[in-house]
Amino acid sequence: MNHPAENSTSTHLPRDNTVHTSGTFRRLLQYALQNKPLLWVAAALLLLATATDVLGPILLKIFIDDYLVAASFPFWDLLVLLVLYLAANIGAAWFGYLQSIKLGAIAQNVIQQIRQDIFAKVIKLPVSEFDFTPTGSLISRITNDTESIKELFVGVLGVYIQNSVKVLGIFIAMAFLNWQMMLVCLAFIPMVVTVMVVYRRISTPVFQKGRQLLSEINAKLGENLQGIRVIQAFNQQQRFSEDFNDTVNRHLQVRRRTMQLDALLLRPMVDMMHMLTLAGLLYYFGINVLESTIEVGILYAFINYLGRFTEPLIEMTQRLNLFQQSMVSAERVFQWIDRKSERLTGDLCFSNAPSKLELRNVNFSYTPNNPVLKDINVTFEPGSFNGIVGHTGSGKSTIASLIMRFYQPESGQIAADDRPLARYSDDAFRKQFALVQQDSFIFSGSILDNIVMGRNICPEQITLAVSQAGLNSWVERLPQKLAFQLTERGANISAGQRQLISIARTLAGNPKVIILDEATANIDSETETIIKNALLQLKGKATIIAVAHRLSTIKSADQILVMHQGKVTQQGNHESLITMEGLYRHLHQMQSAQWQLLEQN
Amino acid sequence: MKLLQELSWFFKSEWKRYSIAMVLLTGVALLNLFPPWITGRLVDQAIAGTLDASRLQNDVGLIVCLGVAIYILRYLWRLSLYSASYKLGALLRQQVFTHLLRQSETFYNEHQTGDLLARSTNDITAIEMSAGEAILALFDGILTGVVVLTLLFTLIDWRLTLIALLPWPAMAFFFWRINREMHNAFHLAQKSFSDMNDSVQENISGIRLLRAYGLEQHATDQFNEKVANARDANLAVIAAEAKYGPVIFIVVGISFLFAVSGGAWFINQGSMTIGELTSFTLYLGYLIWPMFAYGWLLNLLERGTVAYKRIQALLNSTHQILPEGTQTAPPEATLTWNIHSFHFTEGDGAALQSIAGSLTPGNTLGIVGPTGSGKSTLVKLLTYQLPASNNCTISYGDNRFDHYTTDSLRKQMAIVSQEPFLFSISIAENIALGTPNASLKEIRRAASLACIDDDIQAFPEGYHTLVGERGVTLSGGQKQRIAIARALLMDASLLVLDDALSAVDVETERTILQHLRQNRQGRTTIIVCHRLSALQHAEEIIVLKHGRICERGSHHELLQLQGWYHQMHAYQQLEQAVIEGH
Repeated sequence: MNHPAENSTSTHLPRDNTVHTSGTFRRLLQYALQNKPLLWVAAALLLLATATDVLGPILLKIFIDDYLVAASFPFWDLLVLLVLYLAANIGAAWFGYLQSIKLGAIAQNVIQQIRQDIFAKVIKLPVSEFDFTPTGSLISRITNDTESIKELFVGVLGVYIQNSVKVLGIFIAMAFLNWQMMLVCLAFIPMVVTVMVVYRRISTPVFQKGRQLLSEINAKLGENLQGIRVIQAFNQQQRFSEDFNDTVNRHLQVRRRTMQLDALLLRPMVDMMHMLTLAGLLYYFGINVLESTIEVGILYAFINYLGRFTEPLIEMTQRLNLFQQSMVSAERVFQWIDRKSERLTGDLCFSNAPSKLELRNVNFSYTPNNPVLKDINVTFEPGSFNGIVGHTGSGKSTIASLIMRFYQPESGQIAADDRPLARYSDDAFRKQFALVQQDSFIFSGSILDNIVMGRNICPEQITLAVSQAGLNSWVERLPQKLAFQLTERGANISAGQRQLISIARTLAGNPKVIILDEATANIDSETETIIKNALLQLKGKATIIAVAHRLSTIKSADQILVMHQGKVTQQGNHESLITMEGLYRHLHQMQSAQWQLLEQN
Repeated sequence: MKLLQELSWFFKSEWKRYSIAMVLLTGVALLNLFPPWITGRLVDQAIAGTLDASRLQNDVGLIVCLGVAIYILRYLWRLSLYSASYKLGALLRQQVFTHLLRQSETFYNEHQTGDLLARSTNDITAIEMSAGEAILALFDGILTGVVVLTLLFTLIDWRLTLIALLPWPAMAFFFWRINREMHNAFHLAQKSFSDMNDSVQENISGIRLLRAYGLEQHATDQFNEKVANARDANLAVIAAEAKYGPVIFIVVGISFLFAVSGGAWFINQGSMTIGELTSFTLYLGYLIWPMFAYGWLLNLLERGTVAYKRIQALLNSTHQILPEGTQTAPPEATLTWNIHSFHFTEGDGAALQSIAGSLTPGNTLGIVGPTGSGKSTLVKLLTYQLPASNNCTISYGDNRFDHYTTDSLRKQMAIVSQEPFLFSISIAENIALGTPNASLKEIRRAASLACIDDDIQAFPEGYHTLVGERGVTLSGGQKQRIAIARALLMDASLLVLDDALSAVDVETERTILQHLRQNRQGRTTIIVCHRLSALQHAEEIIVLKHGRICERGSHHELLQLQGWYHQMHAYQQLEQAVIEGH
């Protein structure tokens, strides 16, 4: 089995991630390319926005040089200028607005696609994968990590593309006005790039240290809150408090260092470069004015442009930190998307009759050297009612999991109708087999929704299932009948009613093999009686295998398997087993004693 | 604004840093006024033809110097301001944690760990922002606005200023509206995110069912719907945020237009120069930040206020601390209790009723009974994890619990609770939790008594193996035995095993109890348990039912009674046979 390289401490970045990064990045871009039409629209809008954006200062320059300095104000010329200016202004605002929404939509589409991809993959992974991955970390992959990728698209890529084009447009406009002065401004770019590179190199380790300390603080806080009773009982408040304060202080120091770096190299630095470029522009302008080859309006326009490209560049420097974090997240998400979903791909079908099931020399363990099932040999006849009992940890539920194909036996074989179970197609298997679990899974919706569960089932079959599951007497008393709305996890009905609904859900599919895994463990004896009756009615119509803690559930079974430490120790029906000295009889006595104790309460 | 008032204690204590930051910010605001002015003058000189090389060099040199000076000031104010605000965050984190450490059982029953965690992380970050960014927005926003406007009105031309400022109120208005829209959209986006989270959680935990019914498609469809909702909600945020751009662009564009047209008129009249107009438009650009700061400030303060309220509510919940006295609790004293009735909250039914007794040093008390009979409550009262109410008297030696300092009482008691909690530190450190200075030899001795030494030796790094995600995963029984070793190392006069052997098998349980009898002679022990075999040697056993004593006596006396204890004993013997496979 191949487990994901779980990196629970997300702050530890792999050292050699440069090679991965380019691949991951390319893959992220491919997701964006799936939105080609939108991408073209956004690109067109971006170009329009930039073009109209750079037009404004040029118009102002024309006004200053051709009319203001010359002190001539012909009405029509000015009107044309005014209209052009307003049009450019409103156009730039409008195109810019639309463009950023389109870019945002692309980013959101990408994230939507990635989320759907990882979910679709995860939901199809073998059940065994979930035994070793904490649910929390898997959920974090699907939600938080994709959220972090979103930051990359919206906050980093979007800003970089948008701002680069904008800056490029401004430089082209400047070149048209005066290419020498444009070159003066161009000096700004390598300066900013140098600062960005230096900043990234210096700040990355400090920044990561900060994140690591923060997650350490949060982890400590969480752990200490959980263990608070122990800390208090052992009078260790002082020590834990000092330890925590120490971590907080270290974090404070690292944060001050990152802040220092930010202050040293980010906004104040770029602002200073802006000022230096301004000085350069003025100097070049002054020199040329002395030779009277340059117009005032040019300077005006350049100063205007200078202001316009400083802000985008500052924005770009500040987004650098997000990049690294997002790439780590993306890599983790792709790791899941790339997992193989080793599904069974058989093509056998069942005949429309109850199946015969056989376990032949079946061995199984969840973790190596820890056998849960040892050499199991059992036959479940077609249409028979079978019970499996045993104490906690005897392996009885594992048999149910193997029959449901959640796991593959380590050795030995499970056969259905004399052919290997693994070779039946998924569809056929699901139509034939059904499972009822201990905890009924109810979602908010009507009773009917919970029974149908999005499957294609005819009304007659539903009515039949409802009555077979013994739901009628209860449902009839509800004003809305089957349309009665259940709340999240079925909190507004009893545990017994929830279990009856999940049995009706099972029967609605008209399965030929029904597995009950401790289905009567958490319910009252009245509901248990209903379920027992339902099972008796199904005898002959489906092969039933009931794993039960309560012996009363399987009392009338045709065959009962008694399990102990992964082996079948006794086999027979209730009447024969109860007369024998052995585990079954002791289980029975134990449960009677338990009932007496409970009744006393 | 009220938030800033409430945080005034902090501003006062950090007044130096804040004052320095404000002086420096004022310096930046004033120095920033020069470059546009120099530019304007240069333009005028150029037009008038009075510009010469030395003047040009002076002006340009001045701007370079200003640039460097402003850079230094900007660097320094950030240092002062954010050093202060980060300190507030650290301070609050430490305060909250220290406070949490002192809270009693009742407090933790009322508060969810997740909620406490959220408050001490996200909320503190929000307050930190208020003490840093909000102060910046407030002070610098107003400062820049006032300085620039004063300059425009007094030094350049008040008429032109009025004309150029005409569209600006619209910007303030739109910023305010966009802010509100953002706020709402953001809320929705967060909600859609947590919906999606729930959906993943539900589906992953129900994976077997989904698989069994072939409902992958159904679940995927539902999830995709949630994802689509999240996408739409996020797009709404983007759409709202995107409105800032056009608002700034159009207002500033029109303002420039007004300034240039008005300026042209005044220049034509001869009351203004082109250079002055150039400076003027540069100054106008400075006004965007104050407009923006205002909306930002409201947002930060709103979030900070909510967060600060939640933190304060947490810090003010001091009534739940156990009352304590000044005396030092003696070792080896008799524990006496007379509980007439005990209620968790006024008006609720009694959790315990008519329970009296005593435990003399050297004896063992057993407490048994069905689930919900009040065993844990009784133990918590007897070990002062819960304060006694009016109808209860519980004394240790000659005094009630609250006459002693809590510290000294805790030193006399070692409690092993139902769910052993191990920290993600080494096993040795976990065992030495209450006695950090214990030697490895002492630690190993305690571990041997708790029958866990062999297990620990088998771990890759022995006693230095880390517990938890980064180290070994321990079984329930191993955890329980480490917790017992931890309590034994304390060598306290009272040892309490509160259902602390439930995951240990009968054989090991027997050995551990035997070790206890041999090594804790003259010490007192309270054992709460399900398995009656653990109580064979107890001097007294209390059987609780519905909060009352229904049977009491020694193991053998109770077996004679033919009551609950007897039946339970019979049942457990059958169960033991089943476990062993007979």
